[in-house]
Amino acid sequence: MNPSVNQPMTSASPNDSGAKDTTVPIWLIVVLFLLVYWGAVYFDEHGGWFDSQVYTPYVSAEQVKSFQVNGGPNPFERGRQVYAVTCYVCHGPNAQGTPGTFPPLAGSDWVNEPQPGRMIRIVLQGFSGPGLTINGQPFNTGSVMVPWNSFSDDDIAAVITFVRGNKDWGNHAPPVTPEQVHAIREKVAKHSASFTPTEILQINPAE
Amino acid sequence: MNATRTTSSANDAVSTAEIDASCRVPLFTLFVSAAVWLVIASVFGLIASLKFHSPNFLSGCAWLTYGRVHPVATNVLLYGFAVQAGLGVALWIIARTGQAKVAQPWLIGLGSKLWNFGLTIGVLGILAGDSTGYENLEIPRYGVVFLFLGYLLVAFFSLITLHNRRERALGPSQWFLLAALFWFPWIYFTANYLLLSHTPIRGVTQAIVAWWYSGNLNFVWFGLVGLGVLFHFIEQLMARPLHSQPLALLTFWTIILFASWSGIPHSAPVPAWIPAMSTVATVLTLVTALSVMINIRRTCGRGCSQTENPPPGKFIAFGTMAFVVAWLMNALAAIPEVNSVTNLTWYTVSQWQLNIFGFFAMTMFGAIYYIVPRVTGLEWPCAKSPRHHYWLAAIGIVLIVLPLAIGGVVEGFNWHNLKMTNVDVAKNALNFLRISTVGEVLILLGNLMLLGNLIGLSVRYYRIHFVPAYRQATAKLKPVEAKP
Amino acid sequence: MKYGPLVFLAAFFALSASWCGLVLAPQVQLGRAIQETNSVMRTDLYPAGRPGVARQGLDVYRAEGCVYCHSQQVEQQGTLVDVVLTDAGKNSNAVAKALEDEQLGTFTGPGLAAGLPKPVERNTSLEKASALVNLLKKAGANSEMHLVPIGTDIERGWGARRTVADDFLADSPVMPGSQRVGPDLANVGARLPDVNWQLMHLYAPRAVTKDSPMPSYRFLFEQKKIGKEPSPDALQQLPKEFAPGDGFEIVPKPEAKALAAYLVSLRADVPLYEAPLTPPPPTTNAPAATNAPAK
Repeated sequence: MNPSVNQPMTSASPNDSGAKDTTVPIWLIVVLFLLVYWGAVYFDEHGGWFDSQVYTPYVSAEQVKSFQVNGGPNPFERGRQVYAVTCYVCHGPNAQGTPGTFPPLAGSDWVNEPQPGRMIRIVLQGFSGPGLTINGQPFNTGSVMVPWNSFSDDDIAAVITFVRGNKDWGNHAPPVTPEQVHAIREKVAKHSASFTPTEILQINPAE
Repeated sequence: MNATRTTSSANDAVSTAEIDASCRVPLFTLFVSAAVWLVIASVFGLIASLKFHSPNFLSGCAWLTYGRVHPVATNVLLYGFAVQAGLGVALWIIARTGQAKVAQPWLIGLGSKLWNFGLTIGVLGILAGDSTGYENLEIPRYGVVFLFLGYLLVAFFSLITLHNRRERALGPSQWFLLAALFWFPWIYFTANYLLLSHTPIRGVTQAIVAWWYSGNLNFVWFGLVGLGVLFHFIEQLMARPLHSQPLALLTFWTIILFASWSGIPHSAPVPAWIPAMSTVATVLTLVTALSVMINIRRTCGRGCSQTENPPPGKFIAFGTMAFVVAWLMNALAAIPEVNSVTNLTWYTVSQWQLNIFGFFAMTMFGAIYYIVPRVTGLEWPCAKSPRHHYWLAAIGIVLIVLPLAIGGVVEGFNWHNLKMTNVDVAKNALNFLRISTVGEVLILLGNLMLLGNLIGLSVRYYRIHFVPAYRQATAKLKPVEAKP
Repeated sequence: MKYGPLVFLAAFFALSASWCGLVLAPQVQLGRAIQETNSVMRTDLYPAGRPGVARQGLDVYRAEGCVYCHSQQVEQQGTLVDVVLTDAGKNSNAVAKALEDEQLGTFTGPGLAAGLPKPVERNTSLEKASALVNLLKKAGANSEMHLVPIGTDIERGWGARRTVADDFLADSPVMPGSQRVGPDLANVGARLPDVNWQLMHLYAPRAVTKDSPMPSYRFLFEQKKIGKEPSPDALQQLPKEFAPGDGFEIVPKPEAKALAAYLVSLRADVPLYEAPLTPPPPTTNAPAATNAPAK
């Protein structure tokens, strides 16, 4: 070992700040930029642009969507599932409801309105109160339908599409899109209480 | 370059000897505990390695199964040895280059003791089955608290020491060390808070955070500290400044910008953008390895052979080469085509060992062999042992890294070969692993030498400084002659 | 770069970048989506959550460090498509001719009409498969596209598709692993659904897999003297060289039972939006894996 070990090497120790300002070799900068370029191209081709549904080996949201063959998430079938875990409890497996307590959905004029605006509002905000008339018959109930606005636009659109288009129940209204649900969700955001029949009948179902 | 130095030392009351004296307490605590943990880590590493020779070796005892011994070996090497040795060397460099005495040396020693206590209960927790399940973060909550407090104490007074410096200008090695001092508490707190608090984050985000932490610890933290130390000692040993400061700046930025994103494998069950970002960033660390290589090569110039003669220089030279190779291996393995072969194989282990042991630990050994005699003013008890330690460690690490790297690539191709059964692939890979056991034995022997030397030196120091003082203090008082 | 504060700021911003990218963004994207799972995202609620004993098994998996030798991440290299004819329509001869024009082999009308559904084209790209489906539609036939994920992991039988974030929703800690000393376990429950097999494998790996390098976990089991009646939990069909002496039986401790329950619960093979596949049709035989002895 170095015999002069006990002597601090101050004389030999250069000050760090004395490092020469020699520049970076130009080829290294070129390598850096080539790698950055490759990285940008690689990310563009394989990164899926930050989409949470794109996993390798898929490379884009469109590609994942194109692989949803044979009725991937079919809104009608998805609506059947949503119905089965939520609406089913009150409205029943065949949407007949319970006389005097829970109104029926099968063949109801409320469900079969050509425009879905009122039905979307009812699902989002809930429904209660006296004065309900179904197919011209008064339907008196003390029950309250709770709001379901914690469900996503997709799920609400799916379940309304399922109920409105269910031919087994005698319904034949056109489907609903998540965009329609989204538009109405924003409109009713200020509406804190559930809707009453009188209140909702004043609303134009097309809006 | 000596102009400032001469003027400042003329005005200064603080001499190098005083600075070294102020380092004595914290450095002794940090280095001796690091060396003790290092030996423990090698023993556990050896036990883990032996299990691949006979699957039922020590498998009857829950505390000594592979699933517990392996994380203990990793954690003890990382937190027991590497972090403590790194903090000690960093402290000495900060004090020496800044020409300032260490602030509150006793509190830094206390920080090291807290750290040791936290690690001890953490390791016992892992052995008892209390591991958290996140790799490199296995230490349970009750250990983490002490580790974190201990780190804060050490780092805070290292920063105060830096703040008190008389040499205001900061050189490259100080940027690296300063950034590292801030980096660790952030990543350690974030990861442990998000993963181990009462309401941890959920789902696969846990794994992402754990990967992020591992990448930042293994590449950014050890990279910053290790390179800070390398740069400093290369300047010291070559007695000339670093070839290029802008190049060192490029190294610095590529580490903190790119290496901090590394570590998420291609196969991770997360949306494609996360591994894609990580892949790109890891490939970009190629520039880090190249810039370090050029800078050190050009600093040494034809004098490279000079550094290799005395043992500290040998260790430093090995550390430099290991850094370049380890980071090239890492950047290479991030390329998607390569990654599909090397991912989830022994190649990753080989690369990790080369980075932690070949680069970081070897650099620290060099630094410790350089610093301790200066701080104590004593020679090593066994003057030849640093040289023996070097050869044992160097051959040992090559015997671990080379077989595992080759074995990992072979294993990767075998997993893609559907004609080989799972058992065939695993057994084939174990043949390579068995060679690495020899490396583990050599490394253990070398580490025992380091520990023996440190203990021998402490005993000698104690004899020289404390025994006479004690005798003097306890000697019978001579009757004072009364003056007439 | 002469002063400490500058180094501090540089480190701060660089670290913030990776922190935002790899901690904050995934938490916003994946962590929050998870907390709104009262919506039925797909045709079925997924993941169903593990039964209580399997949840305890996850803790045993963590404590014993199984993760250091087993990964839970199945890779997928691509997705191919099979076209399956479901209805040959009224004019099956025209369908056969259309298929022959596409050079997909020789077909006869009556041959096509019998034994439906029947694959008419295998392992093709999505574009080609859609074109074929349209062509068959024009010929009056109905067909379906079946998605077949491919990759060596999948061909090794380690999974039906790649693993995705949703597969880990029910678990904490999430342990995807970093090394494959042994096989991947993401789907071990689908591959080896027999609890007794799993227990036997934990007790004596080489009793069920010749030359397995896995250590045995005997400390999770107890050797007991058989009382009046053999314990219902005791290991069945243990090979002789691993079995205890006469009058003794090997009974798993609760930890072993939990770990086996967890392993059996590991199955990430449900089709998801982000990892589509066509599940194989339910077979009349129960999912009997070849190396799983019936209980």
